Amino acid sequence: MVQINLPQNSKIKKGHYYKDKTGSKNLRKVNIYRWDPSTGENPRVDTYEVDMDNCPSKVLDLLNKIKNEIDPSIAYRRSCAHGVCGSCAMNMDGKNGLACTKPHSEIKGDINIYPLPHLKVLKDLIGDLSTLYKQYESVQPWLKTTKKSDDTEHHQTKEDRSKLDGLYECIMCACCSTSCPSYWWNGEKYLGPAVLLQAYRWIIDSRDEDRKERLKKVADELKLYRCHTIMNCTNACPKGLNPAKAIASIKKMLATG
Amino acid sequence: MSENPLSPHIQIYNWHISSLVSISHRITGVINILMLSLLCFWVWALIFGNDNYQLIFKFFNSVFGKFFIISFIWSYSFQILSEIRHWFWDLGYGFELKTSKITGVLVILGSIFLTIILYSIRGFLF
Repeated sequence: MVQINLPQNSKIKKGHYYKDKTGSKNLRKVNIYRWDPSTGENPRVDTYEVDMDNCPSKVLDLLNKIKNEIDPSIAYRRSCAHGVCGSCAMNMDGKNGLACTKPHSEIKGDINIYPLPHLKVLKDLIGDLSTLYKQYESVQPWLKTTKKSDDTEHHQTKEDRSKLDGLYECIMCACCSTSCPSYWWNGEKYLGPAVLLQAYRWIIDSRDEDRKERLKKVADELKLYRCHTIMNCTNACPKGLNPAKAIASIKKMLATG
Repeated sequence: MSENPLSPHIQIYNWHISSLVSISHRITGVINILMLSLLCFWVWALIFGNDNYQLIFKFFNSVFGKFFIISFIWSYSFQILSEIRHWFWDLGYGFELKTSKITGVLVILGSIFLTIILYSIRGFLF
């Protein structure tokens, strides 16, 4: 359901201000969403003054610098730092992306960092993605075939293989799903762009023998057709993929039979 | 331990041309239904005589009435152009980021252009 306002316990309060102690002349203000489950207080936005002369180029570097040098209590997910694992997905400057691939020089003015939108916050920049993972599981993202091939590969023509381009690269970082207003309002039922792209990835796979069943399962007013082509997903994808197009392809397959 | 908060969403998320056109498509859709109902009501009122015609005629020639007509023309122009964009999407075309951005801008500019054209030639139509 559409709920524009945040619930009472989610209203954001003004937080602490961490003044620069290095004496640097090249400072930037970084505003970061904070929520500590142990205090019982509302979330707040803390502001940090960061010395940019000694900071590498990406937003993740900036966060690491703050965590290492200013405030070790700040929590966020990160792992590979090369845009492959999808852990550091967050909302930077009003748009979802990976902190490890987003240069902070692209952001004008203060740098605002929030968790991925419309998720249950576990701590600071860490959102709860368990609903999304359950939905991912529901599309059964594995190869279904009766062919027995214990010792050889499942063969595929080059053309069939190329159909998976733009789909297999998805790292399930959830930037797209959490950018989608439809997913905000109907996240429990609507599968969202990330999961639908994955569903399409298996529907279109020539080696898979379960296409009809897969299509039947996804053909649902809420699961699929809550996509209204808002295109926030494609705008957000840090890998340059096109979930909106994948969803449209499913719709088209269903319409044309 | 307290209940987990919900992370901010529409409050912090940037508007893109595509999301702006999308929400406008919905809003103009609702406006058009209301406006069409009003037009039907107008036609219905005409059955009951000349006085009603005069009243409506006066209304549409007032400043507010003109604002009303221009808004309606814009709302309709926008809806039609945006719907054409949706048709192409339904056929599977125009999903590339750049294309969707350009078509989005075209819908916005086109709706303004159509409004001006239609309003200026209204004398020939009615």
